Amino acid sequence: MAIELDALLRQQMEPTGLYGQAEAEVVRTVCQSCHCGCGVLVHLREGRIIKIEGNPEHPLNEGIICPKGMTSWQVVYHPDRLKYPLKRAGARGENRWQRISWDEALDTIAEKLKDILKTDGPMAIAGTFGGKPTRIRNAMHSLINSLGSPNSGYSDASFCWGPYPVAEVNTYGGYTFTEMNADARNSNCIIVWGGNPTQSHPTYGRLISNARARGAKLVVVDPRFTAIASKADVWLQVRPGTDAALALGMLNVIINEGLYDKEFVDRWCLGFEELKERVQQYPVEKVAEITWVPAEDIVRVARMYASTRPATIYARVAVETHLDSTQGMRALACLVAVTGNIDVKGGNVFSVYPRGFYSFHGQRRKWWREKANGDAEQEQRLGAREFPLLCGPNSPIGSPHPTTMVRSVLTGKPYPIKAWFVANNLLLCLPNSSEVYQALKKVDFLVVWELFMTPTAQLADIILPAAHWLETNNIMDAYSNYIAARPRAIEPVGEAWDEMKIVFEILDRVGKEFCYFPARNADEYDDNRLKGLGMTFNDLKEMTVLSAPIPYKRYEQEGFQTPSGKVELYSGTFEKYGYDPLPHYVEPKPGPVSTPELARDYPLVLTTGAIRVSYMHSEGRAIPWLRELAPDPEIEIHPDTAAQLGIRQGDWVWIETPNVDGRIKQKARLTSGIDSRVVCCEAHWWFPEKPAPDYGHWEVNINKMLSGDPTPTETGTIVLRGLLCRIYKAEEN
Amino acid sequence: MTQRNLLIDSELCVGCQACEIACKQEHNLPVGPRWIRVVQVGPRPAGGRLVMSFHPTRCMNCGKPPCVDACPEGAITKRADGNVLINEALCTGCMACIEACPFDAPQFNQETNTVGMCTLCAHRTDYGLMPACSLACPTGAIQFGEINSLIEKKRAERAARTLSRI
Repeated sequence: MAIELDALLRQQMEPTGLYGQAEAEVVRTVCQSCHCGCGVLVHLREGRIIKIEGNPEHPLNEGIICPKGMTSWQVVYHPDRLKYPLKRAGARGENRWQRISWDEALDTIAEKLKDILKTDGPMAIAGTFGGKPTRIRNAMHSLINSLGSPNSGYSDASFCWGPYPVAEVNTYGGYTFTEMNADARNSNCIIVWGGNPTQSHPTYGRLISNARARGAKLVVVDPRFTAIASKADVWLQVRPGTDAALALGMLNVIINEGLYDKEFVDRWCLGFEELKERVQQYPVEKVAEITWVPAEDIVRVARMYASTRPATIYARVAVETHLDSTQGMRALACLVAVTGNIDVKGGNVFSVYPRGFYSFHGQRRKWWREKANGDAEQEQRLGAREFPLLCGPNSPIGSPHPTTMVRSVLTGKPYPIKAWFVANNLLLCLPNSSEVYQALKKVDFLVVWELFMTPTAQLADIILPAAHWLETNNIMDAYSNYIAARPRAIEPVGEAWDEMKIVFEILDRVGKEFCYFPARNADEYDDNRLKGLGMTFNDLKEMTVLSAPIPYKRYEQEGFQTPSGKVELYSGTFEKYGYDPLPHYVEPKPGPVSTPELARDYPLVLTTGAIRVSYMHSEGRAIPWLRELAPDPEIEIHPDTAAQLGIRQGDWVWIETPNVDGRIKQKARLTSGIDSRVVCCEAHWWFPEKPAPDYGHWEVNINKMLSGDPTPTETGTIVLRGLLCRIYKAEEN
Repeated sequence: MTQRNLLIDSELCVGCQACEIACKQEHNLPVGPRWIRVVQVGPRPAGGRLVMSFHPTRCMNCGKPPCVDACPEGAITKRADGNVLINEALCTGCMACIEACPFDAPQFNQETNTVGMCTLCAHRTDYGLMPACSLACPTGAIQFGEINSLIEKKRAERAARTLSRI
């Protein structure tokens, strides 16, 4: 596919250079190909994008740019972009579609919503989204909340950007494990914990690499020998699923050897004695046995982290996808706290916004807090009863619980979703694909907002073509201490629409007001978000970024944003809800230790979700230059394990798990960078070039092989790492 | 004349392949030819631990380039500033240069039926701009300039880096 498609795409491009640049118009905007938000310069000629470069003036990326950002124009001009609203013309999944007008699409949706509001009430309306390169986060929350339902959120809230905010907010009142909050730039010791930033967020990975080059110490905790691990002083090759034990073991060393920040702990921490008692259960030798990390390495890293100032922990999604996700993240938060590295320069720093500006999430939280009956409505959110810290009124993210949503469609409990707005490739991105497939097929009314036809969109009643970040205005407000205008560089292709426009049009037709603040259309929305700053969107466009000074140690003036105003090593909130107020470790189950009999049939530990630089979740497989870098889904296997199983480099390999019947296959990549008892699968794979409606995803997507059952923990996580599997060579090699 | 070239510090390279895509974008290349390509070496055991490194490989602008001698059309020349360039108008796509090059630098382009390779972004660098790969590189691993002074600078930088860790 790639060659013809590629030729077609590049007809729109000419080589630039000095002579080319003189003629080109340049739009300064902010990339949204991943979460980073790098400043970019979009070069246009006669209204068409000819290249995308990094903006040297932007404080985050300082002129550099990654493959995903550079190829964004290949996404925009892709021949397979959805350009018109579509209506299903056959059975679900039959791939028969009829082009319709926006009026027809919106009228149909509005009629359906009015019916549902009348008969079932607003709770029966839900919306989910992911990391799509559009302004969907703002749009989906706005639509669903304005319709009166609290059921809008990230489709992966229970295992990504869920457990760690819950853990950190309930420890010290804000979250800091993200890019930019983990202040690598000013740090002398950085721990990269369960993340692969040079592939997933290269501009942030750069800050770590630069810090290392200037002499900062670097520790990487990862079962895989990643690029960043190859640069590290110490690489802790942890057994998948046991990170919490490792963190508790480090706490044991730091506390017992008296390496913690006594002054900070005395003045600001509650529950130190209880924590001290708890970590006695995790002596280093025991932790070494659990985690497969040598005891001397644990001691060395604990001493290095505690005795180097300032030090920071960058902890990413891996720990969130474990059985003990929230408790594991709590253990990491306690590490940050007892070493006094919270909210100090070069440590883990809270975000701050220019005075008068609310981040989107901040605005939404404020609106819920102030809303009459808001708490009661949020208690109705799907999952709020089972997982109140994640889905209830006090949740830092206010999302419904993903699996509970899927199952509410299938079982009608606690109440059924009737209209479901899906703005990502949900079918590929949630574990137990078969169950998700059943739910998407069963739901009364499914509207998908997308850039491309996907296996998920194939099941929709109506598909709405969304505008890409290069085609819409937006305000970049995530992380760190600055905001920036993200003005559109081009008009949307075909009849694609700014998703905020879709929201206002639907609300108009249903007769509902935009809920968070007064606004009647997308432009007013952008302007009014800046009202508190006394600015309009056009004013913000004039500057590269608008930044606020970082106060550091804000707690000295205001205390911590916790009920006690202190760091709660012993969490009063967790205790109140009946959870363990102190961090603990849970042995992965099933696993080689907890279910040895099962492990005889499934002898390998499985970890999933590895990503290469080309891709963001399920995106990017249709983009020629990106696909060239990573053409196939790969499973990492140690050469010794492969030799025993007769598997060679590049063989297709079947993977089976005890969770779900069936199997999937991926291509073997032999590497001594993984333990011989562990294999690692890439996630979210599909082949946009293969036939609809499935595009081959049932054959290769590891999520099909994982259980969708939420763990009975604080956040109802679905376990994606630290599982069991068996593999064998595929016949057709 | 001063010799200009790319200097690549594999100690800084993190294998993100931004250079590869920046090169494609700058030179309008199809899927297939990769004028700069990140080669991963390792992981392999060394000195009791694993090591892995990344090496962006491209035309080295050899002192005595074998491709120049191999080309039956005389399409490849070495400029006075050291830059080895293929004249696409003279190239017949016979691929003799591909055979001759020890670095896999010349790359066949199916669309044009010719061979191309790194030009050191002559269309930019001749006018004082940096090459596309160097601009995109997140870690500063790729630098361009007068090669001897770049090497001198790099030696000092590496020595300082090593000393800071002792």
